[in-house]
Amino acid sequence: MSEPTGDAPLVLVIEDEPQMLRFLRPALEGHGYRMIEASTGRDGLTQAATRSPDVVLLDLGLPDQDGLTVTARLREWSQTPIVVISARGREEDKVAALDAGADDYVTKPFSVPELLARLRVALRHGARSDGAESPRLVIGDVEVDLEKRRVTRAGEPVHLTPIEYRLLAELARHPGKVLTHSHLLKQVWGPASAQQSHYLRVYMAQLRRKLEEDPAQPRILLTELGVGYRLAEA
Amino acid sequence: MAGPWTGSDRSQPGGQAYAKSAVAVVACTGIAALMAPWFAPANLIMVYLLGVMAVAVALGRGPAVVASFLSVVAFDYFFVPPRYTFAVSDTQYLVTFAVMLLASILIGTLAARLRTQALAARIGEHRSDALVRLSRELVALQDRNRIFAAVLRHLEEVFESRGVALLPDAAQRLGVVAGDAALLGPGAHELGVAQWAFDAGQSAGLGTTTLPASRCLHLPLRGSGRELGVIALEPRDIRSLMAPDSFRLLLAFANHAALALERAALAEQAEHARVQSETERLRSGLLSSVSHDLRTPLAVITGAASTLLEDTDRVDASARREMLRSIADEAARLNRLVSNLLAMTRLEAGALEVRRSWHSLEEVVGAALRRLEPLRGGRPVRVTLPPGLPLVAVDDVLLEQVVFNLLENTVKHAPSSTPIEIEGRAREHEVELSIADRGPGLAPGSEERVFEKFYRGDDSRRTGGVGLGLAICRGVVEAHGGRLRAANRPDGGAVFTFTLPLDQAAPKIEPEPAAEAPLRSSP
Repeated sequence: MSEPTGDAPLVLVIEDEPQMLRFLRPALEGHGYRMIEASTGRDGLTQAATRSPDVVLLDLGLPDQDGLTVTARLREWSQTPIVVISARGREEDKVAALDAGADDYVTKPFSVPELLARLRVALRHGARSDGAESPRLVIGDVEVDLEKRRVTRAGEPVHLTPIEYRLLAELARHPGKVLTHSHLLKQVWGPASAQQSHYLRVYMAQLRRKLEEDPAQPRILLTELGVGYRLAEA
Repeated sequence: MAGPWTGSDRSQPGGQAYAKSAVAVVACTGIAALMAPWFAPANLIMVYLLGVMAVAVALGRGPAVVASFLSVVAFDYFFVPPRYTFAVSDTQYLVTFAVMLLASILIGTLAARLRTQALAARIGEHRSDALVRLSRELVALQDRNRIFAAVLRHLEEVFESRGVALLPDAAQRLGVVAGDAALLGPGAHELGVAQWAFDAGQSAGLGTTTLPASRCLHLPLRGSGRELGVIALEPRDIRSLMAPDSFRLLLAFANHAALALERAALAEQAEHARVQSETERLRSGLLSSVSHDLRTPLAVITGAASTLLEDTDRVDASARREMLRSIADEAARLNRLVSNLLAMTRLEAGALEVRRSWHSLEEVVGAALRRLEPLRGGRPVRVTLPPGLPLVAVDDVLLEQVVFNLLENTVKHAPSSTPIEIEGRAREHEVELSIADRGPGLAPGSEERVFEKFYRGDDSRRTGGVGLGLAICRGVVEAHGGRLRAANRPDGGAVFTFTLPLDQAAPKIEPEPAAEAPLRSSP
């Protein structure tokens, strides 16, 4: 993963529904990806080992073993980014998959641009897993400089409390990627606070009031309901 | 002695009662001895008669008769000259003795009968009390198991008999449904007797003429027209249980139990019928909505897609785009319909799981607005949420569905370019969120009906709703302990308002030491 190749990125799609495969192949191949498929979790793990894909797209509703097991098994030996496909209303499954090591998710039914955005972010984070993240980030009129620990909005400096800053910085280290509630709580407040979800709500609201034009219609600090938060991509 | 109301016969007293009657005669003799210096011996007889009467009332007929004899003997010995002998100097006294004996036996017998009657009346009263208590308890019960539990408990209290209840299965074979099955002993004998009692509709087993060697007494429970089941009793004292009064009471108990059972069965049937007709209504509503509301988008998708596939050359770029747009829109509509159908099914089945944690309304509203974006058209949205609005303990995913459905509803009915207003308020024990539009408003009188399943307004053909969205909203809000209502705004448009209870405040958060701002405001 560390050395960039001129080849198109290889996506391993672990999915048992033929209709989904029929739709995914032209969608991915039309956007500069190569695609290989596996219809069972077992086959998927084998292919992940033999073909070294750049990213794995995994349906959580597989017939032979659940996607959670596949995620965990894959993470035993591989850091290949995993994007899971799940249904609406199964937020706990998504959280479990993310906690087990998946990088992101899309909810069925999803659009191709949405899927491509997730794959792009996942590939970027995968490629950077041994490098440093970009220290400067611009989303709309907000600029976050992690190196100088400085946040500006429309050129004006924004005053953040230490916790607000830690929360924003954690999101800014993974732009475009969903971060679960428990992940953010652990990173910002420490491992003992994983259940204190009200901390997160209160500080997120404060942060939005300082960064968003309309906190009720956020454009920068996006809510992934039942799962976590995501910093919008630039 | 057996239980208090088992009809135990108190006219068969033990040796103690006879000893007491002797003591009574001794007491009478003492009193008579005190009176003797002033009264003629014949008058002293009255003391003894009084004593016999007292014995009869207190102890019954047997002791009274014994007391009568003892009285005559004592009178003779102590007061008839020559005194302190059984000899009688005046033969007239022999007549006196005879009359005294007869009179005292007569008085004793009459007094004892009075006593028996009083006793019987008291037992009867207790029995009707017991029956009243049972029926009063049974009236309140609808559930078969609880009816049996009550009947068995009363049987044990009143008749000192442990019991089990048996009901027939579909093949009319009895099985124990309440009580300790071990009571029927090992083997199938008792079950066989119970089955016989059930089939024949007659009591059987212990104490009856049918299979009296059994361990239990089996009473059929007779409903109107057929046997409903059997109660098997293991009595402590079968003789007193089978005494006529007691057995009649037992039958009355069985009758009450049967009535209660029948009532419960009827109530169950009525409930079943209600559920079935409700299900039927739902199903037909579902079918009609499926046929219309799922087919319309499918028709659009099929038509547009096949045109794009087959008439590629004849479709210009803008028409192509329009058709693709329709496909995407209709597919999205289908997705929402299916989501709502699924949510409704889960609500109906009681399978809706509410996972509460602390959430801000702002965030939930934000998520719903984001999902609304493709449907919003040109409608401006104004959100007014006071910054101090408390966190609420809700299921965010479900609540977002509520807000989204309410917003979708306004989008369906209010013309584009009219504003949507979202406003939150905190009250003492609840928070309130209202979503208002400037559409045509609700038809007068339909403010409640809009929440019914499959209710659709007059413009439903245009808006293409199934009539589930608002029903789901109400179900979810109520699952959170809140209320959802609809009204017309005084200056035009409709407003939907739901409340969420603030049962407890969110845990306090330590304020950050604001003094130490680590971030330099300058580079």
